[in-house]
Amino acid sequence: MPTETRFQELKRYVRLDERDCGLLRAFGQLAAPELPRIAEQFYDRIREHEDAHAVLNGEQQIKRLQRSLVAWLTRVCGGVYDEAYHEQTAVIGRVHVRIGLPQRYMLTAMALIRVELLRIAARFLGEHSGPTQEALVRVLDLELAIMLEAYKDSYVERIEQAARQERTDLGAALADAEHRYVSAVELAGVIIVGLDAQGRIQLFNREAERVSGYARDEVLGRPFLDVIGCDDATDDLGQRLTAVLSAKVASGVFSGAMRTRSGKLRDVAWSVNAAGDLTTDGVVALATGRDITDEKTREDRARQNERLAAIGTLAAGLAHEIRNPLNGAQLHVSFLERAIVRKSNQDDMLEATRVVGDEIRRLANLVTEFLDFARPKPPELKPTSLVKAMEHVCGLVEPTAKSARVELACDLPSSDVEFPADAAKLTQVLLNLLNNAVESTAANGGGTVILRGRRGPRQVFIDVEDDGPGLPSPDAPIFDAFYSTKEGGTGLGLAITHRIVTDHRGTIDVSSRPGKTSFHIALPLEQGAGV
Amino acid sequence: MSDSERPRSDEVLLVDIDVRSSRRLARLLEDDGFNVQVLCDGASAISRLARAPLPGTLITELAVPLTDGESVARFARSQDPEMQIVVLTRHPHLMNAASFPSPAPVILTKPLEYPRLLELLRERQVEKTHASGLFLRSNSGW
Repeated sequence: MPTETRFQELKRYVRLDERDCGLLRAFGQLAAPELPRIAEQFYDRIREHEDAHAVLNGEQQIKRLQRSLVAWLTRVCGGVYDEAYHEQTAVIGRVHVRIGLPQRYMLTAMALIRVELLRIAARFLGEHSGPTQEALVRVLDLELAIMLEAYKDSYVERIEQAARQERTDLGAALADAEHRYVSAVELAGVIIVGLDAQGRIQLFNREAERVSGYARDEVLGRPFLDVIGCDDATDDLGQRLTAVLSAKVASGVFSGAMRTRSGKLRDVAWSVNAAGDLTTDGVVALATGRDITDEKTREDRARQNERLAAIGTLAAGLAHEIRNPLNGAQLHVSFLERAIVRKSNQDDMLEATRVVGDEIRRLANLVTEFLDFARPKPPELKPTSLVKAMEHVCGLVEPTAKSARVELACDLPSSDVEFPADAAKLTQVLLNLLNNAVESTAANGGGTVILRGRRGPRQVFIDVEDDGPGLPSPDAPIFDAFYSTKEGGTGLGLAITHRIVTDHRGTIDVSSRPGKTSFHIALPLEQGAGV
Repeated sequence: MSDSERPRSDEVLLVDIDVRSSRRLARLLEDDGFNVQVLCDGASAISRLARAPLPGTLITELAVPLTDGESVARFARSQDPEMQIVVLTRHPHLMNAASFPSPAPVILTKPLEYPRLLELLRERQVEKTHASGLFLRSNSGW
């Protein structure tokens, strides 16, 4: 037995049989003249309802639709209800869906048609109209069922599509959220270290790698406090971390330190927080930190400069006044020296007077340097040739270097470059660095000092390198005023150097180990742009 | 009489309020063959510079009582464009040498290095001797 189609199944359900088909065919012939009137009434009714009317446009279309409605009514009362019939009705149903006719109007419109057809049947057939009316009800219900099917198909399709869209959106949103999370953690300019309940590192972001010098896979699984060289019994960070891990409370921001892979100490503003429900991968606490070493150095230096500016006026006045008694002392020493040479020429007395003279000169030098530092004049910037500046300074240092058996190499750029600088102050900077380099190399029994100049895209780079013993400590505050490791140094040379370079909107830094010390200066090629 | 024809004075006029140091400096200079007059204020320096014979050299501190050393130096320059002028100061930046009528004075920062000063004065003595030599030769018809 061939399987029943949906239409056959519906016909069986409403019990539309051969007898009904005959009755309907007969009724169709009777009612035919009445059908245009029904179509007119139908569309008049639609005009009264905004939402229903909205699907129509223009009277011409209504006329066409009225003709279609007549054709449909003729077909409904045609007595032939086969698969082709079903397909035609299904097409009409789909058109209703496509033009957006609301379902409620289709149902109520069908009621209007039903009432009109039943009245016509009653009018023409009188008391014999019963079976015909039943057949009409059946065929019209069949129509409704088929047309509603089109709505149902459309709804199902729309719901499925919405569900598909939702699934796609949700997947994309999840992927996005994860990506955002990963890049937020990775790209944050903040140290983020995730810890498990035992305080072992489970997460170590890029900034943590950068500041600490450790690669992620070196530290994952290791106790955090060990890695950053913190003694948990005494250090603030250790205590706070223990508190967070045990009580799951958040700690505020506090300053601490961190030992890098190379053993340097960095200042870090830490904050330790219980991770709570935020993460699942075994991380119970997050230590976040900001490397404030440079900030702190800058702050310290700014504070120092402020202090110096405050006492600058007083101190500068005092320094100037010191020059008068120094002048008197110097003249008297010159006189004494001459008198001793003339009269007794005793070597020990002469020696003593010369020492006094040297000490006075040293004091005078200190006064000059201090005034340079405390009351600096802004640099007078003029286009300056890098090659000329370097050659000039090398010429000045060469004799000292030669007598100290230090080889001085002047590594010039392949082509000259001009940049805005105060030539006198630049000379002072380079002289200072070269003399320091020569002195420290000479103390080692000789060696090589290199002055190197290069042009960068936006800056001029000047390096002063020596193979001397290096700075006593990599963290030594060599650019601070009155810090000196040299016998007889004023401790102002590098402070002045630093100030001159920063007055040029440039930077200076140093790297040092035994056998190689290198000062690196960067000066802008254009002053307006800054560095 | 033009400048090159006038015989130069060995006299040094020294102006500074620090009399004790000035006297010591004067002793050193006299020892080296100069003739030194010491004054301790700007007003008496200007009145000295108002009459002939003018000193060959003026050494003045910038900060002196009764008018300042720069005024003394400017007055001296107006009296004699050839006079050697040395300004001594604790504040080298206070002296505006650029606006000074040429030739500009030499500015020395205290404490004074005596050998440096002596070198300067001797350079001028050599120039002077050279100039007098020419004068003598041309006048004596050599």
